[in-house]
Parts: sequence; C-alpha cells; structure tokens
Amino acid sequence: MVQAIILVVAQTIVLLAVSPFLVGLIRKVKARLQLRRGASVFQPYADLAKLFRKQPVVSTTTSWIFTATPYIVFASTLTAGLLVPIFVSSTPLNFAGNIIALVYLLALGTFFLMLAGLDAGSAFGGMGSSREAIVASLTEPAMILSIFAIALTKGSTNLSTIVHKTALLEGIATDPSPYLMALAALFIVAIAETGRVPVDNPATHLELTMIHEAMVLEYSGRYLALIEWAAGLKLLVFLTLIANVFAPWGIATSLEPAALSIGLAIYLVKVSGLAVLFGVIESMFAKLRLFRVTDLLGVAFILALLGLVFFYVLRG
Amino acid sequence: MPLLTPLIGSQMVDLGSALLLLTCFAIVAQRRLSSCVDLFALQSVFLALTAALVAFLTGIHHIYIAAALTIVIKAVVIPRILKRVIERLNVKRELQMNVNVPTGLLICGALVILAFFITQPIIPLGFLLTRDSLAIALAIILIGFFMMIARKKAVTQVIGFLVMENGLFLGATAAAYGMPLIVELGVFFDVLVGVLIIGIYSHRMQDTFDSVDTSKLTTLKE
Repeated sequence: MVQAIILVVAQTIVLLAVSPFLVGLIRKVKARLQLRRGASVFQPYADLAKLFRKQPVVSTTTSWIFTATPYIVFASTLTAGLLVPIFVSSTPLNFAGNIIALVYLLALGTFFLMLAGLDAGSAFGGMGSSREAIVASLTEPAMILSIFAIALTKGSTNLSTIVHKTALLEGIATDPSPYLMALAALFIVAIAETGRVPVDNPATHLELTMIHEAMVLEYSGRYLALIEWAAGLKLLVFLTLIANVFAPWGIATSLEPAALSIGLAIYLVKVSGLAVLFGVIESMFAKLRLFRVTDLLGVAFILALLGLVFFYVLRG
Repeated sequence: MPLLTPLIGSQMVDLGSALLLLTCFAIVAQRRLSSCVDLFALQSVFLALTAALVAFLTGIHHIYIAAALTIVIKAVVIPRILKRVIERLNVKRELQMNVNVPTGLLICGALVILAFFITQPIIPLGFLLTRDSLAIALAIILIGFFMMIARKKAVTQVIGFLVMENGLFLGATAAAYGMPLIVELGVFFDVLVGVLIIGIYSHRMQDTFDSVDTSKLTTLKE
C-alpha cells in the first residue's frame, strides 16, 4: 500500500518534471537545425513559472466551462500519464484502467478543449475546435486499432502486462509484422495528437494553419500555464507509450532501488531520443494542407487495420 | 545455425513482405510522381532483400541472381528511366485521381483483406517457409492493379504495373521458391522493355494532347 502511494507520487513528479524539458528539447533541436542558437532547453520551466504568476484575463462572455477546462485537461492528461508504465513496469493506477481508459482520458481532455474553444465565442476558437474535431475523430480509430493489434499479440489490454511481457521477452515468438504496423500507425497518431508539424504547428499563431493554438488563444495566466503543461504532458505520454510498448527493454521489472534508477535513466534517454526525432521530423517536413491531413491519418488507420489483420494471417 | 531457426527465418520473410505491402500503401497515398518512383525503388530493395533471405534460408542459389537483378533493374535502372520521363514531361504531381486518397486507401485495405480471405484456405496446405507471404503477394498484385485503375497519369499507371510485377515476383518466391531462372530473366527483360516503350509513348501522348492523362485517349478518332 505504502509502496503504491510512493510509486504514484514518484511517477507524478517524473511526469510533471520531465514534460517541459521535452518541449524545450524539441524547440532546441529545431533551432539548431535552423542554425539558430535557440532558447535553453529549460526555458519552458521559466515560461510556466512566469505564467503562473500572471493574472488571468477571462472574457465576460464565457461560461464556467472556460475556467474549468484547464483543470479538467490537466487532470485527465496527468491521470492518463499515471496509467502508462514509465520506469517501472507495474503502474501505480494498474487497477484503475487499461489502455482503452488511457485513450479516452486523453479524448476527454481534447473534448473539453474543443468546448472551451467554442465557449469564448471568438472566430478563431471555433475554427480551431472544428479542425481539432476533424483530427481527433480520425486519430481515434487509428489509435484504438493499433492498440488492439498490440493487445492481441500480448493477450491483454493492460499496459503493465503488455510492457512487462515484452520487457521479459515473453511471447517474442509472435510475428513482428503486427508490431511494425502498429508502431507506424501510433507514430503518426502521436504526431497528430500532440499537434506537431505535418499536422499542426505549435510555434505559429497564423490563422490559416493553427489548430491547437487557435483553441487556446483566449487563455492567459495560470490557465494558459496549465494548458501548456498539459500539452507537454500529452507529448510525454505519447512518447512514453511508443518507447515503452515497443522497446521496453531496460525498464525496471522489480522494485529494487538499483533496477529503478537504471530504469529511470534509460527511460529519460529513450524519451529524449524520441523528442529529438520529433524535432528532426518537424524540421524535415512542411506542414500539410488541412485537407491533406485526412490522407496522412487515413494511412495511419489503414496501417493499424493491417496490423490487426496480420495478427490473424501471419502466424509463422 | 542456432540463430536462424526456420521459425525466425519464416518470420523475417513475413516481415520483409509486410514492408513491401507498407511501401505499396505509401505509393497509393503519395501524389508527387518523383516520390512515387522513389518509393517503388525502395519497394524493389525490400523485395530483393526478402528474396535474398529466402535464397539464404533455402540454399537455392538462382534466387540470389534474381535478387541481384531486382536491385539493378528495378531499384536503379527503371527508376532512372521514369525520373527522366517525368523530367521531360514536366509533370510534377497528380492533382486529379479517379478516387481520392483516403477512399483509395480504404479500398486498398479492403483488397488486402480480400486477398487474405482468398488465400486463407490454400495457405495451410503449403509446406514452404514462405507460404504466408502468398497472401501479401496477392494483396500487392491487387493494389498494383487498383493503382492502374485509380490513377490517370500514364507515369503512375506504369508504377502500378511495376508494383504488380513486384507482387508477382514475391508470389512466385513464396509459392514455389522462385520461377526457373530463364523465366525470371525473360520477365526482367520484358519489364525493362515495357517501361522503355511506355516512356516513349508517354512522350508521344504529351506531344499530341499536351498531357499524359490517359482518360483523354478516349477522344482519339480516326
């Protein structure tokens, strides 16, 4: 019991502490690739601290949804993060939900962000919400199908079980093709869901292109800080999901201090590597036109579907 | 060989075939012609690697020759010819298709399931290492066929044809560890000459219609 509580606290602290660093790291990678020096990787912490001190400005036309949304988004994303094994293969909230709960906790945050975008009644917010609705409705089937493909190969929808089995190389005799397809699909979904470049640009406030930024345009002060932190958390959750479901090696499978510290170190290396990869992808590709986003997400959906079909067809 | 048991070998062949299918979908989703050609070259490389792996696993040497020919002809020579044709014709991307990309992808997904469904009764009867790849090979053939129907530009139709040919090669390797070498050589030569002729015809089309859109060919009258 005490152990479980300590694990919850530890995982919460790691999630909260690491997520701004990854956002900063991606920005740094992008800046270096554009031959700029770029801000320090710790800049997002300073930004968050500054935003928390500022007084928020709330439009008089908004309802309670607008002020409640930052807390809901932050809480749901953090809870989703607690469902994913991070540096130890047994997650603290193991009993509370599986991978499907994770998908819909994230969807809950997205839903409230869309409502908040509409709530302020500004044209940009509504536009952002409608675009986000397109993206979210297309990523959800792809994500669920790719997750089912993985869950089938491991015989469980529980993330701890999946990661634990893969880390101990159990059931490695299954065909790798479903994994490959699911990985490719989940990677595209991660890019779309976290609002990264081929789908959305987190660094712009140009009305033609923004999706996530348009929804949160009305926010300021501590509300904005919570939303930005939640966006960082969501990025971290997806990177963790990719890193630990597909390559969980090095994760602590027991609760010994040595295994835990090695697990934590390897985890940080893995997510930092993925963040650098995201930064490189952002620099390599141009943003897709909004109506081309459906092509990309269609590919993700088909890949996930193929992963599922391969599981039944290719059996060695 | 302790590392490469038949089971793992068979899985690696499956993985190679799955990569081939993956590139098929990338080609279907791609509008830019030169990227289509690059993806086709990549697919041919995957095909050659899969064939070489089969050759290594079975010890049948003539598959190595076929794999080497695949690299030379399909991954180097044909893409070069197609690139040159694209450059001369000055067509960069395909703006109009008979079916839009997401629908096309869904149809291809359905084709894959159809191929798996058709081959399902046959596969358990086989005893070769590569028997599972037969389903994927059939799926690739169907997708190549679909591309020839769905795309309008002559160049992408050629790529559909070549994708079909890759599927046939994979199918032959999967079902019978490859055709006799003399047949393979004939097929390679046919494909090469076919691409050359289609390249020349595309130029003629460009001269006559100012476009390589094959749907305009119906307006030809005596």
